[in-house]
Amino acid sequence: MDAEASPFETSEMLGTFLASTPLPKEAWRVCSTANAMGCGAFVVEQVGGVGYVAFSGIQQLPVPDWDPNRSMLVPLDAASHGPFALLKCHYDGEEPVMVHAGLLHLFLHYHPRPDLQSQIHSLLAETKLIVITGHSIGGSIAFLAALWLLSYLKSIFPPISVLCIGFGSPFLGNKSLSRAILRESWSGSFCNVMSTHDIMPRLSLDHSLVPTPQWQALIRFWYTYMMSPNSINFANLQLTEEDKAWLFYLAVANMERLVHAEEGSGGRSFWPFGNYLFCSEEGAICLDNAVSVNKMMHLMLRIGSPNCITEEHLKYGRYVERLPHQSLKRSFMEGDLSESSYEASLSMALNSMGASRQLSIAPIAKDCLKMTRRMGRSPNLKAANLSIKLSKIAPYNLEIQWYKACCDDSNEQRGYYDSFKHRGASKREFKINMNRIMLEAFWDGVVRMMDRNELPHDLHKSSKWVTASQVYMLLVEPLDIAEYYRSGMHHKKGHYISNGRARRYEIFDQLWIERVCRKKLGNRRTRYAGSTQDSCFWARVEEAKEWLDKIKRDSKPANRAPLWDRLIEFETYAMKKVEGLEVSTDVVAKNSSFSLWLEGWRASKSQIYPLKDIN
Amino acid sequence: MDNNLGVEDEVIKTALSASLEACANPKELPFVVRKVDSSPSQVVVAFPGSWSPNDWFAGDGEANSFGETKINDKKLPSLRSLRVEGFAKVNEAFMARFLRILEDSNQTFCKEVTKAVENDKQLVFSGHSSGGPIAIYATVWFLEKYIRSNEKQTSRPPLCLTFASPLTSDRTFCHAVQREGWSDCFIHFVTKLDIVPRILFAPRSSATELLLEIPPFIDPHHKADEKKMASLFASVMKSVSCVANSAACTLKGSKHTLSETMSRFIKLSPYRPCGKYVFCTETGRLVIVKNPDAVLQLLFYSLQIESETELQKRAVASLKAHWTYKDALDKSLARHNVVRLEKLRELPLSSDDPVDIQVKTIGAALNDLNLSELARLCLRAAGEFEKQKEHNRNTVKGNKDAINKTLKALEEYRTTCRNDGVGYYDAFKMQKKEQDFKANVKRLELATIWDEIIEMVRHGQLPDEFEAEKEWVDLGTQFRRLVEPIDIANYYRHKKNEDAGPYMIRGRPSRYHYPQRWRENAEQLDRDSSGESCFWAEVEELEDEVTNKRPWKEIENRVLTLEKNLRKWYDKEEVEKDVFLEDSTLVKWWRSLPDDHKANSCIKGLMPS
Repeated sequence: MDAEASPFETSEMLGTFLASTPLPKEAWRVCSTANAMGCGAFVVEQVGGVGYVAFSGIQQLPVPDWDPNRSMLVPLDAASHGPFALLKCHYDGEEPVMVHAGLLHLFLHYHPRPDLQSQIHSLLAETKLIVITGHSIGGSIAFLAALWLLSYLKSIFPPISVLCIGFGSPFLGNKSLSRAILRESWSGSFCNVMSTHDIMPRLSLDHSLVPTPQWQALIRFWYTYMMSPNSINFANLQLTEEDKAWLFYLAVANMERLVHAEEGSGGRSFWPFGNYLFCSEEGAICLDNAVSVNKMMHLMLRIGSPNCITEEHLKYGRYVERLPHQSLKRSFMEGDLSESSYEASLSMALNSMGASRQLSIAPIAKDCLKMTRRMGRSPNLKAANLSIKLSKIAPYNLEIQWYKACCDDSNEQRGYYDSFKHRGASKREFKINMNRIMLEAFWDGVVRMMDRNELPHDLHKSSKWVTASQVYMLLVEPLDIAEYYRSGMHHKKGHYISNGRARRYEIFDQLWIERVCRKKLGNRRTRYAGSTQDSCFWARVEEAKEWLDKIKRDSKPANRAPLWDRLIEFETYAMKKVEGLEVSTDVVAKNSSFSLWLEGWRASKSQIYPLKDIN
Repeated sequence: MDNNLGVEDEVIKTALSASLEACANPKELPFVVRKVDSSPSQVVVAFPGSWSPNDWFAGDGEANSFGETKINDKKLPSLRSLRVEGFAKVNEAFMARFLRILEDSNQTFCKEVTKAVENDKQLVFSGHSSGGPIAIYATVWFLEKYIRSNEKQTSRPPLCLTFASPLTSDRTFCHAVQREGWSDCFIHFVTKLDIVPRILFAPRSSATELLLEIPPFIDPHHKADEKKMASLFASVMKSVSCVANSAACTLKGSKHTLSETMSRFIKLSPYRPCGKYVFCTETGRLVIVKNPDAVLQLLFYSLQIESETELQKRAVASLKAHWTYKDALDKSLARHNVVRLEKLRELPLSSDDPVDIQVKTIGAALNDLNLSELARLCLRAAGEFEKQKEHNRNTVKGNKDAINKTLKALEEYRTTCRNDGVGYYDAFKMQKKEQDFKANVKRLELATIWDEIIEMVRHGQLPDEFEAEKEWVDLGTQFRRLVEPIDIANYYRHKKNEDAGPYMIRGRPSRYHYPQRWRENAEQLDRDSSGESCFWAEVEELEDEVTNKRPWKEIENRVLTLEKNLRKWYDKEEVEKDVFLEDSTLVKWWRSLPDDHKANSCIKGLMPS
C-alpha cells in the first residue's frame, strides 16, 4: 500500500459527522416552512448567527412559457447576463456550462424579485454564514441561487461562507458545470441530501416525463403532502402499480445511461456535482466523486422497488430527526468483520447504506467505494510529484536569469532578447536554448495534465503554482519570441501574438488575472523591474518594427494613416511601460531592438508628419 | 506493586480524599494541603469545585457559548502555538477562579508552593469535578514559573491528578504541553459513565441545564425525573458525538471539502483532552490511554447506548457515576487490573474472545469500555495518525545529511567571498561570478527541503515535540543565519520589494520565520528578538529611505534600533564580521548617515577605518 492512501474508508465517517450536526435538521425546518407556504414561495430567516434562505419545493413545472422544442439543457452564460459571470469553461473543446432550462427559468423568475433581493442583502449585512436550501425542485433552485451568490461574493471581503443543502433534488447541470464548480473550489458548498431510494434526484425532468399523467399524478400527491405533511392520504394518489413501475424504470434507465456515459461521449447529459449525502434507515454516507455518486445511485435502485417511489421523496423530515439521535447508539454489524481497517470500514459504509445484507450489490458497491478512494488520491500524488519536478527544474530558470543579467551587464548593451535572437554558434546560448526547451516541456506537461483533469482542481489557485508559472513566463517567453522571429516563423505563420503564442502562456495569463483580491501596491517603482511586466512586449516590438519599415517605404497617405495610428499607439503604450519602470533594463539597453526602433521611429516621425508631432 | 501509572496508590488515594474533602466545604478554604503518609517527599494540594453555573461560564454568553477565553499570556507564555499567532484557550470562569487563588492578598497559595519547593518536595495538584481544572491551571503555572523559567528553582516536576474533571483547555494547550514535554505530569481519572468529563463539549445552554441536576445525586437514593434526565443527557451527548465525529474525520484522513464548510457553520466546543487518561470501568479495570485523539474518541464511544430503551437508565447512571470515584478507585487499585491501550493500530476489531493472552486483556478492556467496531476503528485511526507523524519525523530526519552538506558548501562560499574581501551578501547580490550562481542553486536546494519540512509543521503532520527538539532548533538557527541573508540579497537584487513590498512584511518565507520562533521559544527570548538573520532586509529598506531623501527624523528611531540590535548580535557572535567589510551594503549605507549621528553610533567601532 502506498504511503498516501488512508487506511480507512472515510465516506461513512463523514456521513455520520454531517448527520450528527444540527445543520440538516435546522435547514429542513426552514424548508418545510417554505413548502407549507405553497407554490413559488421562499423563506428568509436568521437563527443564531446563520442566515437561512429556503425555496419551496412546490413549483410550476413545466414552466408556463416553456418551449417544448427547445433543448432541455441551456448554456448558463448565454441565458443570463450577469448572475453567473464566472462560470465559464476554460479550455477549447469543452462543452459550455449548461443547466436545466426549466429550473433556470424558475430561478431567473426569483432572482429579480425585490423582496428576495432585499432580504438576502440584509442577511449578507448581518451574518457571515448563509445556508441556502430547498426540498425537491426547491433544492435545485437553491443550487442556482448559491451559484449566483458565490459568484457575487467572490469579490467581497471579508468572505461570507455559503452552504447549499438540497433534499432529494433533481439533477441541475452538465459535466462542465460540475467541473467549473470544482475549479472554483466550490464543491464543499454543495450537498444534496438523498434518501437511498428516492427517484426524484435520479430523474431528468425532460419532455418525455414532465407532461405525462403519471408524473403529474405523482407530483400532485407530493405537493399535497409537502403543503400539509400531517394529513397524508394515500387515497389521493392516483397511480396504478403499472404507473409506479413505469416511473421507477424511467429512473433506472436514466441512471443506467449516466453510468455508462464515458468521458466525452456522454453528450448533453446531466452530471452530479458537489457532495451527495445518502441516507438510509441505518445511517448515512457522503460521496463527492461524481462517477461514484452515479454508480451508487444506480446500484441503490437495484435494491429498491416501484413501491418506494412515493414515500421515499417525503422522508427527509424523518431522517433529519433520526440521524443525530442515531449516532448516540452503538452501531451493530452483522456477520464477520475483517480485521483489516479498510475492509472493515468498507463494510460499515455498506451497512450505513442499508446495503450490507444485499448480496446482489454489496461487492459492486464495495468496488465503487474503492474506486473513489483510488481516484481521489491520484491527483494529489501527481501534484506532489510535480512539485518535486518543479524544484528540479529551478536551476534552468536560474541559468536563464543569470544569462539575462550577463547580457544586461555586457558591453554590447543589447539585452538578452537581442543577444539570444542574433546568437552565433556559441556554447552559452546553446545551453540557454536547451534550458528553454526543457522548461517548455515541463510546463506543457503541466498544462496537459490540467486539460486531462489529472491534477487537483484547485491547483491553479495555489499561489505557489501561479507565481512559478508567472516567473517562468516573464523570463522565458521573450526567448520564445526571439526564437520565433530568429527562425523566420513569422513569414510562414504570421506574427507571434496572434499566430505563434503557445497555449500555456495564454492559460498562465488567465491564471494570473484570475487571482482574486490582489492588493495593488501604492508605491511607485524606483528602478526598472526585474522582468518586463508584459511578456509579449518583444513581440509587439517586432510588429512595430515591421510597421516602421512599411511606413518608411510606402508614401501613400492612405496606406500610411493606419500604420501611423498603430505606431503611435504602440509608442504610447511602450513609453508608459518604460516611464512606469515596468520594463526590465534589457528593453532600454542602448543597442536593444526597442531602443533602435524608438530612435528610428522618432527620426522618421518628424519627417513624415512634421506638423502632427507638434500638435 | 507497580500499578503501571508511575504514581503510587497511596498518592492517588490521598489526592482523591483531599479533593473530596475540599469539595465538601468549598467556602472555607481555597485549597487543602495533605501530606502523603507513605511518601514524605510529596505534598498534595487539592482544590475545591463549585456547582454554581457562574463558576463554569463567565459573562452572559450569547457570543461565547463554551465560555472560553485566550490564556493569560503574561503568566503562561509558553502555552501557545509557534506556527500561528495564537495562544491557547481555556475556560474563562475556571481560570478566573485559579487567578483569584493565585493572587490572593494573603499569598497563602504562593507561600505553600514556596515552602514545598524549598523543602524539595514534589507538588501534587489535584481536584475532583470542577476542582480539576484549577489543579490543571496550577500545574501549568508551576511548570512555567519553576521548571521552564530561566531562573529554575526546582528540578522536581509537579504532578496533576484530577478526578471527574471537565475538559477546559483547547487543542493548542495540549499541543504546547506536549511540545514542552509536560504531558506526563497530568493524569486524569474518569469513570466510564460519568457525564461531567464530557459536559463541556456541549454549549452553555444544554450544559448548564444538566449541570444543575448533578449535585443531588450525591445521595445514592436521590430520585429524579428520568424522562427529563434522558432528554438533557441526549442533548449533551449529541454535542459530544458531533465533536468526536468531526475529529474522527480528520483522523481518518478525510479530504472532503464539505466538512470544512460545515465546520464553519456549526460551532464545536474548543476543549480537547490533554495528558494521560485513566478510565475506570464497572468491572474494576483501569484503562490507561495517552494519545489525546484516542481519549476524545473514548470519551464519546464508551458512553454510547445499546438501544433507545436504555437511554433513561443510562442518563441516570451517568449522573450517579460522578459521585462514585472513591469506591471505584479503591476497588480498582486493590485489584491491580491495569491495561495500557498502546499500539492502537493493532487493536482487535471484533469483540470475540481472542486466543492470544496479550490481546485477550486488551480485548476484554475494549469490551468493558463498550466499544463497537466503529469505535475501535476510530481508535485505530488515532494510532495511525500518531504513527504517520512518527513516519514523517523519520522522513524529515533523512534530510539532515543533505541539509548539512549544502550548508557546508554555502559556508565555503562565504569563506571564499570573505577571502576575496567581499561579504557573501554583497557578492551574491551582484552575481558576478560562477560561484555566486552555484550558491544560488544551493539556496534553492535548501529552500525545497525546508519548505517541505515547514509545510509539515504547519499542517501538524509532525509530532508536537518537533518544534522544541534541540537538534532542529539548532539546525534551523544555523540554516537561518547562513541562508536568509542571500534570500534577502536575491529579493532586493530582483527588486521584489517594488512588486510586492518590503521583505519582512510581504516576502519573508516561513522557512525562516518558523525556526526563529523555535529558537525564541527554546531559549526563552523575547518575541521577534532573534532577528539576526534578517537585519539585511532592514538595511535595504533604510537604504531606500535614505536614497528617497526621507527626513532623518522619520527614520532615526529605526536606525537606532537596528544599530543597537547589530551591536548586541555582534557581541554575541550571532552576526559575523564579514558584514562590516569595506564596501558592504551595510557599511556604505551607514556612511551615508548624518555625521553627528555617526559620531555617537554604537556600531561606529565595528566599521572599517
